Amino acid sequence: MFQTIFEFLFKYRPLVFTEGRLTFQSPIGIALLIPVVVLVVALAMWTYRSVAGKATDRDRVVLATLRACALAIIAFALLRPVLLVSSVVPQQNYVAVVFDDSRSMRIIDDDEARSAFVAQAFGPGSALVAQLEDRFQLRYFGFSASTERLNDPGMLSFAGSNTRIAPALDRVREDLAALPLSGIVVVTDGADNSALGMTESLLALQAAQVPVYTVGLGHEHYAKDVELSRVSTPRTVLKGASLVVDLLVSQSGYTGKTVRVVVEDDGRIVGSEEVTLPPDGEPVPVRVHFTAEEAGARRFRFRVPAQADEMVLENNEQEALIDVRDDRRKILFYEGEPRWEVGFMRRAVDADPNIQLVVLQRTAENKYMRLSVDDSTELFQGFPRTREELFTYDAIVLGTVEASAFTHEQMRMIADFVGDRGGGLLTFGGRRSYAEGGWTGTPVAEIMPIDIESSSPIDTLFFDSLVVRPTRAGQTHPAMQLAGSEAASRTQWESLPRISTANRLGPLKPGATALLTGRGDILDEHPVLAFQRFGSGLSIALAAQDTWLWQMIPPLEDMSHETFWRQMLRWLVNDSPDQVTVALPADRSSPGEAVRIIANVSDEAFVRVNSSMVTAKITSPTGQVSELPLDWTIEQDGEYRSVFTPQETGLHRIDVEAVYGDRTVASDPAYIDIAESRSEYFGSQLNATLLQRISRETGGRHYTPSTVSSLPEDLSITGRGSTVIEEKDLWDMPILLLLLLSMMAAEWLYRRRKGLA
Amino acid sequence: MRRPLMTVAVASAAVTLVFAIRSGTSAGGSEYAGERGSATVAFPYATSPNALSARPSGTPGPIGQRPAARPGPETSAPAMPRARPGTVRPRLAPPAALRAPITPLAPPQQYYAPAPDGNHAFYFTRGIYSSYSGWGRRGGGSWSVDWPKSDRQFNIVLRRLTNIDSFLEPHAVALDDPALLRYPYVYILEVGRIALSPGEISNLRDFLLKGGFLFVDDFWGNNEWYPFEDAMRQVLPEYPIEPLPLEHEYFHAFYSVDEVLQVPNVGNARRGITSECPGCYPEVYGIFDDERRLMVVINWNTDLGDAWEWAEQPDYPVRYSTYAFEVGVNAIIYAMSH
Repeated sequence: MFQTIFEFLFKYRPLVFTEGRLTFQSPIGIALLIPVVVLVVALAMWTYRSVAGKATDRDRVVLATLRACALAIIAFALLRPVLLVSSVVPQQNYVAVVFDDSRSMRIIDDDEARSAFVAQAFGPGSALVAQLEDRFQLRYFGFSASTERLNDPGMLSFAGSNTRIAPALDRVREDLAALPLSGIVVVTDGADNSALGMTESLLALQAAQVPVYTVGLGHEHYAKDVELSRVSTPRTVLKGASLVVDLLVSQSGYTGKTVRVVVEDDGRIVGSEEVTLPPDGEPVPVRVHFTAEEAGARRFRFRVPAQADEMVLENNEQEALIDVRDDRRKILFYEGEPRWEVGFMRRAVDADPNIQLVVLQRTAENKYMRLSVDDSTELFQGFPRTREELFTYDAIVLGTVEASAFTHEQMRMIADFVGDRGGGLLTFGGRRSYAEGGWTGTPVAEIMPIDIESSSPIDTLFFDSLVVRPTRAGQTHPAMQLAGSEAASRTQWESLPRISTANRLGPLKPGATALLTGRGDILDEHPVLAFQRFGSGLSIALAAQDTWLWQMIPPLEDMSHETFWRQMLRWLVNDSPDQVTVALPADRSSPGEAVRIIANVSDEAFVRVNSSMVTAKITSPTGQVSELPLDWTIEQDGEYRSVFTPQETGLHRIDVEAVYGDRTVASDPAYIDIAESRSEYFGSQLNATLLQRISRETGGRHYTPSTVSSLPEDLSITGRGSTVIEEKDLWDMPILLLLLLSMMAAEWLYRRRKGLA
Repeated sequence: MRRPLMTVAVASAAVTLVFAIRSGTSAGGSEYAGERGSATVAFPYATSPNALSARPSGTPGPIGQRPAARPGPETSAPAMPRARPGTVRPRLAPPAALRAPITPLAPPQQYYAPAPDGNHAFYFTRGIYSSYSGWGRRGGGSWSVDWPKSDRQFNIVLRRLTNIDSFLEPHAVALDDPALLRYPYVYILEVGRIALSPGEISNLRDFLLKGGFLFVDDFWGNNEWYPFEDAMRQVLPEYPIEPLPLEHEYFHAFYSVDEVLQVPNVGNARRGITSECPGCYPEVYGIFDDERRLMVVINWNTDLGDAWEWAEQPDYPVRYSTYAFEVGVNAIIYAMSH
């Protein structure tokens, strides 16, 4: 409407004024014309000044101004204003029309699919195409995961599994770099799911001076839809691990409705959680608890049941591939004196086949008891004295043992165990722990999540009985879950008896998180369990000294103590890397899509090895095995990389083997699921913001199906390539005549009203 | 001589000195009035010094003969016939008097020890149990035999030989007291007249299945075995009593014990004999949980408690006190680490 009125008054569309340059082409010359105009205006004003009678000074000013304006309009027209507009030379330039060929184009927003617009607007006999072809040479492209040249838009299938706009723009720009390219027209819903940055592509287009014209299809909001938009799961866990997975549910049209989020492991429901849907557009986080019972690469499916009249059902579920490992992780528990914690902790995890709790217990001065060792030589000389020996463990638990029981080198090794090797350290409370055990100022104190520098002096015996409760972070932490749901877990914590502490710990260090706090007779809200990441490892501090009371006091059937320790120890070792580790960028990919394999190789002392021969063995779902050499990346010590392109769908297994010196070390297997991506159905609403950004930053324009008819003319004016300068006369703009008549009418009416006529 | 033996001997001497200072008796003196605790005069719940004469002889089977089916030094443990799970030998009919319905005597409240401070890693805890018949009633029941000197001396040695942060004072808890669950090691003795109440059975079962450890000592002969076996059948009916071979970890948890000795009471030791009943041989049995962890260790036909109690006496043979301390420490180290 605005454009129509504007075009009626000003003869041309606003874009012409935006793009054009104003100039005057008067035949008599501006140098002569301006003095004449000034003279005429001055004469008009003098005429009114000399008018006598009833006219007041104010009347004279008004009438003189009106007449001057009228004369100015005439003068402006006499100056013959023109707009100089750069316009493409017909048939000399090219325009790339790029269509979104992904599945999201099949979504029906109103009565018809988004792809229907492509057929109508760009199909045979379409007026839009005819106008474009009058002016330009057209080149068609289709894009989804990759970009392909098309002879005809009719070749589009709308079956692509991804929407990758940036690579498509790059490809088109590079393909047509040698041609006079006026612009790129992108017809898409903008639901880009490539996770690639757009900035570099846009900068390249700016540099090449290629404007992009975007045509946005679809609605920015669905009327009725529930979407499980994000699932965050760990990539690997130990078998039997308790998992707490964060999901994000968003919806429109079902505000206030309660739905159930379900987790399935190979079709078997392993967890669920009810959620009340928030107002439209507001995502709500959901936390689901379940246990990884079965070993192997497991596909866990998270879904929200379909709701009545839902527009898109495909975005109600997501899958995650979790490598549930049946490894046996080794933990060294060094206890400075016989304590019940040793026996009860062993009892709690004895039945756990994935945890080997090796105990080195000092039963008397210089007398040690070794339990659960692999052979008679293990820990024969007490606490390990070399990195190679210590780093065979995945985690260390330091019981109540004084710092002076270690050499400085051993303490340095413990710190490196966490920082460099990536192992877990749990420091346990007791009369010989923390500041009370003389640990202040040691390398181990540096990695503790709690500042022990300011705690009580070491010669002060301290004791307090604590009521222990999880903090807000603890309530949601997987290791602190004592029951199947957050609420049940909280109730379980509240039922546990008091335990005691012999340590008055200082405040949390920056970056540390408290999971349990205790309130006692002396202490008020004291951290009992806290952790922090240190280097590539994990450091946990537990101030309590008798968690075995959680086993003895509650009813026999209560499994809180066992659950707590199993989860704690699993958490402690879960991220502990092996000598050779494999990392894949994602847990799933599409057939034909390149997958990058990154392997990290370390020696026994976990020093990165750069001179290793590293080979990846890839086993496809049909059992075909291919070997792929990996090359050192140079940028990172011990990092090797390669790329493979799977063709089969299904689960691919990747085993990496590293050979250095006379040693051969193999990794645990990594898995990737190759399947058609379902990402097209997530966040599939029209992303107008992205499309507007693309057009704005490249000098193009953004259209909707209702405004796209002006695209050919806009392209003519704003497009690049071979252009000519067009003069567009402005003297005959209707607005000038209207203004002139308005000034004259106003003068006449004013004089009539004042009785001057 | 073995090093542990010497260590224990040295510790025993230290106990003698410490205890003499604490109790006001001389280390080598003869003030003690008998087997059972004249040195405990400071405790109102001391047992009768004349209890020895009232003690039943305990005669398993035919007098002077070893029960044919019982495993012993001459009979290897695996060869022991098993009448049914939980039975260590063919069941002999107990005397009718012992099988008659009984009303257990509740342990008197005054026998509770002072409340412990709660801040120690280990409490040597004596279990107060109900028993029937007359012996020991004047002193409060058979649970209190050797109390508290035996416990105190054992604690001193335990603390000296190991670095266990143990509570040094005597400490006793009734088996039906919920507080029992706070002390996972419990020592009971003289269980030949044990008669557990329903509350004690329930609480002791709870204690053992949750991870508690019961150390049984000083009961002799078949006549004392039967009541104890009955009691354990009520507590843990599904878990059999099994012989504990010398290869078991328990015997090597701290000291390596390679033979089971019959530890005599102090009176017999002075007379040069060890057994309190004819044909009684020392044996060690255990009750295991589902994971083959020991829940109960049973020292039968031996008297470790007396050895702890009288270790400071020069005429008490150091061989026996050494052995008693060794197995006592082993039991605690095993219990705390398994």
